[in-house]
Amino acid sequence: MPNASPLKLSDGTRLSDLINLETREVKMRTLSDPELYELEMRRIFARTWILLGHESEIPNKGDFVTRDMGSDSVLVARDRDNEIHVSLNVCPHRGMKISTLDVGNTNVHVCIYHGWAFKPNGDFIGAPVEKECMHGKMLPKEELGLKKARVSLYGGLIFATWNVDGPSLEEFFGDAKYYFDTLFLRTAAGMEVLGPPQRFRIRANWKTACEQSAADGFHTLTLHRWLGEVGPYAKKPDAEGKGADLTPEMYGSEVWTDHGHALRCIDLDRKIRRITGKDPAELTPAEKLTLLPPPGIIKEMVPELLERFDEGQLKLMSWRPPQVGGFFPNGLFEFIYLPQPDGTVVGAMALHAYVPKGPDKLEFVNWIFAEKDTPPELKARMLRQSCQLLGTSGMVEQDDSDTWPHQTVVANGAVSRDITLKYQAMFEEGAPAGWPGPGHVGDGFTKDDTQWAWWKYWYELMTAEN
Amino acid sequence: MEKNLLEPTPLPPSVRTNRLAIGSPVYNEILEFLIDEAEMLDQLRLNEWRETLDKDLEYNLPLRLTRPTRELAQSVVRTVQHMHDDYGSISLRVMRVMDTKSAWGEDPPSRTRRLVTNLRVYKTEKENEYKVQSYLLVTRSRFDFDDFDLIPCERHDVIRKVGDTYKLSRREIIVDQAVIGTPNLGIFF
Repeated sequence: MPNASPLKLSDGTRLSDLINLETREVKMRTLSDPELYELEMRRIFARTWILLGHESEIPNKGDFVTRDMGSDSVLVARDRDNEIHVSLNVCPHRGMKISTLDVGNTNVHVCIYHGWAFKPNGDFIGAPVEKECMHGKMLPKEELGLKKARVSLYGGLIFATWNVDGPSLEEFFGDAKYYFDTLFLRTAAGMEVLGPPQRFRIRANWKTACEQSAADGFHTLTLHRWLGEVGPYAKKPDAEGKGADLTPEMYGSEVWTDHGHALRCIDLDRKIRRITGKDPAELTPAEKLTLLPPPGIIKEMVPELLERFDEGQLKLMSWRPPQVGGFFPNGLFEFIYLPQPDGTVVGAMALHAYVPKGPDKLEFVNWIFAEKDTPPELKARMLRQSCQLLGTSGMVEQDDSDTWPHQTVVANGAVSRDITLKYQAMFEEGAPAGWPGPGHVGDGFTKDDTQWAWWKYWYELMTAEN
Repeated sequence: MEKNLLEPTPLPPSVRTNRLAIGSPVYNEILEFLIDEAEMLDQLRLNEWRETLDKDLEYNLPLRLTRPTRELAQSVVRTVQHMHDDYGSISLRVMRVMDTKSAWGEDPPSRTRRLVTNLRVYKTEKENEYKVQSYLLVTRSRFDFDDFDLIPCERHDVIRKVGDTYKLSRREIIVDQAVIGTPNLGIFF
């Protein structure tokens, strides 16, 4: 078999038996197999860039938070020179967790077990009773520091990887960067978290959440049907689809990349027409951005957007802005426009990480953001809307977190595990006329291409040599 | 201090000298109110429950962080919270469950049991308002799962006497978990 993958599980199954690149199918066994899970931790989570948080979570020198890179706990710390470092949260002496806290401030991280001490950058300082040289004389101090990850900041977001010599974060983003810039690099002051992230555990395989994050628009129609029944989308004019019909919201453009990043660029024309009564075709991007500013932006901030972005990006932001999408492997962004009962729109800005906690468990981490320049009253409204609709108690996302466990449970069935997930609804139209951005683009009703791209990159990493 | 718009209005303090004796008439009435409330919520009589909420309701469920003993107060986070609701948004939550056929996160509904204990009632500066603290253990069973999700918490309420009845005007739910162990908070506390 020419395309057979070299990766073979202990029962002889090859990875190429589980994913069919021709028919775009993935066997459910991928969602439950413990052996595959172990390989994912090494081949994906120890190799790609992982989202860990935002620099505004640790604004002062010495501030730190503990986070997870796949199955490994890490310290994310700001040093005296204001530089952010990510180090394995494991003492190289006897393997105790260096910090058992969620958050704190210190310039010396001391292991509570035997007192080995480390700087925020992971460097070894020393062990107690220096004259006894309790770190031994076999290794120099330089070799006794915490294992350091490579760190890259983007729009204040903290990414890290163990793949020290691999591609840069920018290379990893690839064509998605053009679009990410319109979300994360909108103002000179930058974004800020409105507090620590919500965290909760779901008995589901991490990939159930992550393949959905790769821009599954279709599920919204059914799983989030309530949005059109009594929720924010219930009171639309009939011309846009009656009552519970969310179909018109499913149109737009979708973008996918060779590294599994995906974006849903949802059309704003209807919203602009409804709010302003004007024909969007007759408005310039600047006018549209002023009439309906992006989440977290008010009209007074629009001139800054006009200065920072080129014509193409401004066109995108005012026509079909990326509203939901995923960072491979386990991140999701939401920059959504929420209709209010009074006819106005309030934005929400959130990022999720779905941290694997075993083959059948994940931790949902939800950060809620605004721009630093967003006026305080609007920040407060954005925060409340986000808490009410997204994350732990979110009226939208509680339906997602109740779905993934069922997929995970059935994936364990002796027969069910050979059932395939199908990604066979394909875009038949490429980028719409005048599309400004790069990447693979599909136009029209939401399709499966973005999610299939996610799986293809998963497969590529899982079968890559070394 | 400047009001942090991200946080809810601070609760009135629980003043020891203003505490009502266990078994006193108002204490008993409030205990009855909370026990009836638990019954309504366990039986999914959510529209009836909504009637017990006052229109100025603030309903919050802060985050918890694992922090050292000396930083205990900072283990409760009131900016980003798990729930941050008012009467309007709680009403929408109720409508979602009661008036749609698509609230999948709670349809079919969880089977829940709310055990209310350790009740303390304090007079406040307002004649008809009481600061009320109670422990609550919620057990939650979903689908055919053989395990229970447990949500132990302490509630800090402001309960107001309105005519012959009581209404809930403030509720802050302090959960014990920094990482919530149930897949969503689609239920009420």
